[in-house]
Amino acid sequence: MPLSKQQIDTLLTLVVNSSADAMECDGCLVNVAQFAEAELMGASLCESMKKVQTHLRNCPCCNDEYEALLAALEFVEA
Amino acid sequence: MYSTESQSMATEPYDWVENLKNESHRDDAIGKLREVLLRGLKGAFYRRGQDDAFCEDICQESLIRIIKNIDSFEGRSKFTTWAISIAIRVGISELRRRHHKDVSLDAITSKNDMKIELAVAEEGASGSDIDQRAILETLGELIENQLTDKQRTVVRALLGGMPVEEIARRTDSNRNAVYKLFHDAKLRLKSGFEASSYSMSDIESVFA
Ligand SMILES: [Zn+2]
Repeated sequence: MPLSKQQIDTLLTLVVNSSADAMECDGCLVNVAQFAEAELMGASLCESMKKVQTHLRNCPCCNDEYEALLAALEFVEA
Repeated sequence: MYSTESQSMATEPYDWVENLKNESHRDDAIGKLREVLLRGLKGAFYRRGQDDAFCEDICQESLIRIIKNIDSFEGRSKFTTWAISIAIRVGISELRRRHHKDVSLDAITSKNDMKIELAVAEEGASGSDIDQRAILETLGELIENQLTDKQRTVVRALLGGMPVEEIARRTDSNRNAVYKLFHDAKLRLKSGFEASSYSMSDIESVFA
């Protein structure tokens, strides 16, 4: 099957938004708790947290896990 | 806060690591942690259509993993945030595994499966239709000429909805390596477009 219109749009969006990413998924997991707390507090991000942010923008799988983490934290704090 | 990397975010009144490691406090600490994890898992997974039984299973597996890896907790976040992040990954991995259980990689990545169909209306084609067609042609050429076989497989599988870790499982690889293939593929396509004189805003304006 050729790529569908929606898949082509997704691919082009991912290509347009891609940027150099020094972190991989395992590095993201190690740092994501600290990143989530910084984001929830609205704290400014240090260099290693900016790498997490870049990875989340580039990696749909880690980003999906991050959204679930935020939902969990919201529930725990409530 | 957060101006330095080593700064610990918050001190928790309860010393989780100490209590989880101390044999006489351990059962109590595990009970407390189970409560926190369950609450978090319900917050994350009820909205993804899962029930109490799912959350309890994931909680149990996560507790084992957390205790096994407790020495890797560096204190850069609250212990509970770290623990919940592990539980979330356990839960999402399980959902992905179940969802893709019966899907083979071949089913979504057969050879020549990266064809771009130029389904742009012929009649009454406007300027932007023509631009769209040119971009799609370039994309097709870049996929064909700039990507490796492995990169094409990964891109195809991801676009087919298979998560990184499921592709890794089926290719005897690991999540980092699959992510890297995908990431490098995107950067190759991006620089390929730029070498063909398309800026990213050209592409956005046509496909937005
Ligand atoms: Zn990732």
